[in-house]
Formats: sequence, structure tokens, C-alpha cells
Amino acid sequence: MKNGLLQIAALSLALVSMSFIGGCKPEGTKTDEPSGSTSGTSGTASSGDTIKIGMVASLNGEQRPWGVDCEAGGLLAVKLFNDAGGVNGKKVELVIEDSNSKPEEGKSAASKLAGDGVIAIIGEVASGISQQMKLVCLESKIPMVAVGATNPDVTKDGNGLISRVCYTDDLQGPVMAKFAIDKGLKRVAVMTDKKLPYSTGLSATFIKRYKELGGQIVAEESYQAGETNFGGQLTRVKATNPDGIFMSGYFNEVGPMSRQIRQAGMNNVVLMGGDGWDSADLISNGGDAIVGGFFCNHYNDKEDRPEVAKFLADFKANNNDNLPGTTMGALGYDATALVLDALKRLGAANKEFTSENLAAEIMNTENFAAISGSITLKGTQGDPEKRALIVEVKKDGFQFYKSYEPAEVMAR
Amino acid sequence: MDAVFPLVAGLHLDFNALPQQFINGIVVGSIYALIALGYTMVYGVLRLINFAHGEVFMLGAYTALLSSYAMGYSPEAVKKIFQSGGEVTSSPLNLVILILVSMAVCAVIGALIEFFAYRPMRSESRTAALITAIGVSLFLQYAGQLFLPANPPPSISDKVNPYSGSFSHVFKPAVIAEDGNVISTAMEVSITHGRLTMLVTVIVLMLLLTYLVMYTKAGRAMRAASHDFDSAALMGINVNRVVTFTFMLGSALAGAGAMMLATFEGTALQPFFGVLPGVKAFVAAVLGGIGNIPGAVLGGIVMGLAETFVTWLGFSQYKDAVAFVILIIVLLLKPGGLLGSSKVEKV
Repeated sequence: MKNGLLQIAALSLALVSMSFIGGCKPEGTKTDEPSGSTSGTSGTASSGDTIKIGMVASLNGEQRPWGVDCEAGGLLAVKLFNDAGGVNGKKVELVIEDSNSKPEEGKSAASKLAGDGVIAIIGEVASGISQQMKLVCLESKIPMVAVGATNPDVTKDGNGLISRVCYTDDLQGPVMAKFAIDKGLKRVAVMTDKKLPYSTGLSATFIKRYKELGGQIVAEESYQAGETNFGGQLTRVKATNPDGIFMSGYFNEVGPMSRQIRQAGMNNVVLMGGDGWDSADLISNGGDAIVGGFFCNHYNDKEDRPEVAKFLADFKANNNDNLPGTTMGALGYDATALVLDALKRLGAANKEFTSENLAAEIMNTENFAAISGSITLKGTQGDPEKRALIVEVKKDGFQFYKSYEPAEVMAR
Repeated sequence: MDAVFPLVAGLHLDFNALPQQFINGIVVGSIYALIALGYTMVYGVLRLINFAHGEVFMLGAYTALLSSYAMGYSPEAVKKIFQSGGEVTSSPLNLVILILVSMAVCAVIGALIEFFAYRPMRSESRTAALITAIGVSLFLQYAGQLFLPANPPPSISDKVNPYSGSFSHVFKPAVIAEDGNVISTAMEVSITHGRLTMLVTVIVLMLLLTYLVMYTKAGRAMRAASHDFDSAALMGINVNRVVTFTFMLGSALAGAGAMMLATFEGTALQPFFGVLPGVKAFVAAVLGGIGNIPGAVLGGIVMGLAETFVTWLGFSQYKDAVAFVILIIVLLLKPGGLLGSSKVEKV
């Protein structure tokens, strides 16, 4: 009996961890769990003198650096809005819930916000979490503006409710592909974090466009978040003698991986990635190995534009003189400001502050001057056409390198 | 090669890389083995699966991080707290100090966990103890999230590792042809100094462990308790001391492994750092036959080699699944594990 119990425990643990390690839920999978409390909360959210807007952010867990920046950006946007008088005498309150960097918890956070009667939900940074939140928003008919979720599926079948303020991987992958070609890289190897829908999606769009542009993908290798030793995959990559390596995962693994790439003797290979690299920690993790790498980003602190300068000054003034550690400070601000702008237009048109009206107004956004570039949602499925920046990793931070317009990248 | 394996189209096998991948697998496996030893020893004595072992591993990595800060390898922001100034150069002596500190702190943590969480549960049912272990594991993860530095996730400075600048040992076997000319082969095996150090340290630690378990009084007491806990107690062995000793030993090994991974592989630390290695090592322990010390080592190495072999085949996306498939097959064919006893236990 002793043995039997152990075997059952061991086997079930193995199975559980297999599903946990084997990874990502298929995108958009609807779980059976009903989001009970949320139904019928799509009414007015303008009780009293405050209008509630919800935000889901990863205030804990692996994505905390992004979550705290996103929160700070959102709070800043609301503060500036309220200081300027709010809308029709009403103030806005930002209700923030923690997703703990987990899709399931993001979903319950969104349910909680819906139950609280928020008029719109902002979030998340990660695509996997946003996709779960989307289910709640669709059911409760609350508009959702994703912050940094770049997976194309996030806004798919959004019923005019789901939008975002970032570009999608449909752009990001091709931008990096075009960049690799422009840089003269003929042979590129790809490393994918198979646990992240973000990473698998980005790798796929990169590979597709890079091949179309005449490049050769010499290796496609996988790893999973939390892994420490990439020796096996890198040995294979090295044997293919690549000019560049495209690493579509998050910074936590990219840093150590770049060190191991150099240690394996691939010293002149150009390292490239997506916006998942965006954290100051990339440099401390990767050391000299990552310096000289390039990645695609939404925004850069050092870009010379008046919106950027004003945002940084405001952010500093409201956050004890600290600057946002990641791009998500600016994107969190943009997402919140976009919702507030739509709210203002509702007020100007003397329409009622309901989720339904707000959703329509958000989708009506035209040439909104966001920190990360102009955003137009009118006539789209919720995916703004935005430019993408290429940023170079330097010893002391990320340096603006060049920017690509969508038309440049998609054109034959 | 495609002709050899017509069933798997596009399979590209690079036989010259096989020795290199073998070394890669051994390196990965040796760390699994080191952690697996902690699972297996505790199970051997208490019949308890210490799910918090992965978290002890995580705390070991953080101990190494904080001690490296204390030694002066810290980012500017941290320097203010520790009041340590000046540039510190790396030296092997510092590595030895770091690994010893990590091992000592982990040993204490392991003993504390046993004393506060498991000892009160010892007379309860085994399932209750198992659930307690899961509870301790979750507690440490989330307490870690509250109290450990996490934003941004820190990693041990490059400067700690004296071998980060110098790259690899390269072995290039040369073949001498019949006419006496040396033909260089495409085969090449390289291993970084850091990983070589890691491998040697693991071997030394395992030899030490063998000595401790086989040739010392404490080790004999441990084996006696593992054989029959109650009889050992009746024979005058202080079983509480044996249990504490076992936890300390296993945790110290985890601490050593954590310090080496954090230092030589440059991994970013976060409170969930121990989850994946913990799960893998647990599987390794079960694979080798849980409760059996050589089995844990064998299980770890087999897992490491299997994963790397699958990567070599070109299926790195399935490498984690394969480890579990192997586990399931082994458990079906040999329920006790590779080296485990399948004898019927008295209940």
C-alpha cells in the first residue's frame, strides 16, 4: 500500500507537471469555468461623482517589472486627467487588480473588476494573460484596451470591444526580419520559448517574413522559461554557423542565454529579439554578451520628441524622481490616456457614460497623440497601425537605432 | 542522413556534435542529480517527499547572491546598503567561500523546515505530511516574493565568476592516418571553465557524501533509520538527530547546486527559481528509485542525457516531455525505479 500511494502521487505529479511544463494553453481556449459574478454588470458605471476604470497588471511574479511600470503609468494618466478637471465634473478612479503574472489570475482579476462595475478595463502586458481577460470582457461587454499584448489573436473576434495600444507581432516579427536583411544577415537561427504564446507567435512571424525576404533560417530551437542551461540547443545552433540569432523570449532567459552563446564561441553573431527584451535587467543578466544586440520596441526614452520629454518629466514628478524601468510605463500611460480621451469625447457629446458608448468611442479614436506614437483605431479591428523602433543594447542602456513604418516593412 | 531515417523527413543528425552533446547532458544531469539526492535521502529516512526542496534550492541561490553583495560584487544601488566600496576582483577563493556559505545556510533552512513543519506531522498520516510539504513549498515561494529582491530580478554579477572571461577548454581529437599524417576531424568538444568547475565540484561532493553515508557513525545511523525507522529508534539511535542530519545534508547539496547554477550560468533569480529544477530533480529521484542514493545520481544523469539527446535529434520543443515519458515507462515496467527495490513493503 505504501508503494501504491507513492506511485499514484508520483504519476499524478508527473502528469500535472507535464501539462504545466508542456506549457501554453492553446490561444483563445475557452475554459469551462463560468465567470459567474460578472454577468449583467455592463450597465452604467457612473454612480456618484467618480467613474471607475479597471486595470489588471502583474504586480507580482516574473513580470513584475512591467506590472509596476504599467500601474505607475496608468495612475499618472488618471492623475493628470483629474487635475485638469475630469469630465463633466466627474473624477476618474483607477481600480487596479494584480494578475500575479498568471493567465488564470488575470482572468479572475478581470472578473472582480467587472463585478466592481468598472466602465473599461486596461491590461495586460502579456498576451497570454490578456487572452484570458478578453473572455471576461466579451461576456460582460466591457471594453478592454491591452497594454503590451502583441500576439495577433488578442483582438481577434473582439466584437468591437477589444483593442490595444501596441503594435502586433504581425508587425514586430517582420520588422526584425527586415532589419536582419538590412543588416546583411543571411543566415539566422531562432530560439523560441515554447511556454509563451508571445514567443512562439513572434518567432513564426519573423521566420515567415525573413524567408520571404530571401534569408535562410538555419536552426529553430526551443527552450522554456525557467531553464538555465541552453548548451544542447546552442551546440546545434553553432554547428549551423549563423550570422545572427533571433531570441523571441523574455529578458530573464535571454540574458543568460546570450552569455552562453558567447561562451560557446559564437562571438560575432548578432543577437536580436522583440519587445520581451525590454528591461534594464537584460544588461545586468547578459553582461557584455548582450551589448551590441538589437530589439524591436514601442518607444525609447532617448528619442527626441516633445511628448516623450513631457511624459518623462511628469513621471519623475509623480514617482519620487524615478523614471520607468521599462517601456510599459509609457504604454500603460498611453492605454489609460486613450480611454480617458474617449471618455472626454463622450462627455463633450453629452452621451451617457456606459461601457457600450465608451467601447464605440474608443474604436472611434483617430490620430491620438500617444507617447509611443500616433494611434488610430477607427476602421481597424482594434489593432492600431504603429511604427516600430529598433533599439540597440549599450552598456548603459537602450539606444534608439532606427524606426520602421508599417508600410516599409510590409511592402515587397 | 535522411535516407537512413526515411520515416522522419528532414531529420538532420550531426554525429560530430554527439560527444559535445554528451558533455552538455552530463553537465545538466549532474545538477539534477545533486538536487535529487536531497529528495531521495529524505524519502529514504522518513518516507516523505519534501516538495519544499526546490525552494531550499531557490533560497540557496539567493544566499549566494546576497553574500556576493556582501563581498562587494553588487550593483551601485545595493552598495549603499552594504556600505561596501571599491572594485572587487574575482578569485577562486571567493567562490569557495560563497559555496560554503550557501551550503551552510541551506543546511540550517532545511533543519528549520523539518523542525517546524514536518516534525509535528510525523505521527500523522503520510498524506498529511505530503500536503504540509506542498504548503511549505508554496509558503516559501510567496514569502520570497514579498521579501526577496525581485525588481528587476537580480543575478549574480559576472565578476564573481573568475572564469567568465576565459572561454572553453577545447578537445579536438586528431586521427592519425596510416601514412602517419594527422587528419583533423570536424569533431570538437568544448566545455567552459565554469561548467568544468561545476562538474568537478559535483563529483567531489558526491564522493564526500558516499564517505559520510557509508563510513561514518552518523551515516550508519542514517542507513539504519532508513532500513527500519522504529527498530532503529528502539536500538538507541537518536532518530530525531538522524532526521535533522538528513535534511541538513540534502539541503546543503541543493545549496551547492544553486550557488553554482546562479554563478556559472548567470541565471536571473526570482522566487520561482527552484520550481523547474525541483520538479526535474524529483522526477530524477523517482526515475532512479526514490530512497536509493546511487539511483538519484543515475536518474539525474539519465534525465540530463535524455533531454540533450532529444535536442540533438532536433526536437528541443519536446525535450521536457520526453523526460516524463521516460519516467512513466520506467514506473510501468519497474515500479521501484531503475535502482529501487521492488520488494513488498510491510504496512
